[in-house]
Amino acid sequence: MIEAIPTQLIIILVGLAATMAFVGLNAILLVYLERKVAGFIHRRPGPYEVGPHGILQPFADGLKLVGKQIFTPKGADSVLFWLAPMISMAPAIVCFLVIPFGPNVLIFNTNVGLVLILAFTGINVLALCIAGWTSQNKYALVGAARGVSQSVAYEIPLLLAVLPIIFMTGTFNLYDITLGQGAWPWQWFIVYQPVAFVIFFICALAETNRAPFDLPEAESELTAGFHTEYSGMGFALFFLSEYAYMVIAACVTAVLFLGGFQGPVVSGWWWFLAKVYILLLIMIWIRWTFPRVRFDQLLNICWKWLIPLAIINLLITLLVIAL
Amino acid sequence: MSLSWLHIAIIFFFIQGMILFAVIPFILSYFLSPKVQAKELRMPYECGMVPYGSAWGRFGINYYFYALLFLAFDVDVLYLFPVATYYTESPGYVPFIKLLIFIVILFASVIYFWKKGVFSWPKKIKI
Repeated sequence: MIEAIPTQLIIILVGLAATMAFVGLNAILLVYLERKVAGFIHRRPGPYEVGPHGILQPFADGLKLVGKQIFTPKGADSVLFWLAPMISMAPAIVCFLVIPFGPNVLIFNTNVGLVLILAFTGINVLALCIAGWTSQNKYALVGAARGVSQSVAYEIPLLLAVLPIIFMTGTFNLYDITLGQGAWPWQWFIVYQPVAFVIFFICALAETNRAPFDLPEAESELTAGFHTEYSGMGFALFFLSEYAYMVIAACVTAVLFLGGFQGPVVSGWWWFLAKVYILLLIMIWIRWTFPRVRFDQLLNICWKWLIPLAIINLLITLLVIAL
Repeated sequence: MSLSWLHIAIIFFFIQGMILFAVIPFILSYFLSPKVQAKELRMPYECGMVPYGSAWGRFGINYYFYALLFLAFDVDVLYLFPVATYYTESPGYVPFIKLLIFIVILFASVIYFWKKGVFSWPKKIKI
């Protein structure tokens, strides 16, 4: 409650600064990592010119994007048009409130942790929809329609894949879910719930609009999809928010299925970061390995395979718990 | 409902995310970027042609069915959330059977839409 100790306020402010730094650093690191890994997979050096081994490339990119002229397309709804990238970015920051990075590295230990993350990541769909609709561009409109129906469809197997974990632990508190798992890999929930893990990871890829599910921004068919009309900073914000959501997806996967900050020998935030980065590398690897799916295939994978599979998985979990 | 620290934290984070990651870059961009004005510079992109009509026209209904399905489904799945927190403490098979009935009805809706042809492309929906 509010009349309690103001140390809470200090924790919030410190957490805010730390989150900002974390999100910023991650974006820089992931831009570099993605391009380097892409280069490695394509058998080319990747960024190499700016700084040693192209380390300064993300900064150069950022400067270039800041230096680009921002303009609204003719006939677009300019208020909503520029609000959309902000709506996309802001909820991503809120999600870091409840993620337990370590035994003591946690801003808020709350009962509604997972619900909060699920709720705030859902706002991204709205941003995507607004961006596509207001930019007065047909590619953007098609991209937005695809993006919304995709995110909306994959939300359901995502929830159904999360539910077995909740039924097993009986809590939405991410810290308690982490403590419900042991330090060693065979005590993690991925061993008890391998199907749920696979479903969750596929849905996380689809929710963050990553390849092979990047149909809202399919370059070869829709130019750039829902952010076709955004120049410079507008595009950069969508890009940044995509990376932020990737990090959140990896964090939640690590907490739910991979034991969070618990690890062999000494538990701590280093284990958490290691797991998150391995998951992010797998996401990048998938992007450069699989071809993009067709749109009806994308929706059919969800409705015909993932949802029935998730429901059966949930029922089996319920039966095992009841026994 | 009283205001708790969590609410304050959420509002703080939200506003800060807006300001630091959205407003400040735009202000920077405003000062650094060139401001060119040309006749057709702000024309929406359509492969270099002059756009044919407005983008805010009529649009395929294909996606609408998925939105409807989602609405029905998601609300039902959300009902499982409060149940999930208490399930491990509830004794006996009765809760399981109740949940089984609930989930089977939920699943029946997917089968219904499947049979109606909502998932087959191009759309051949029989109403």
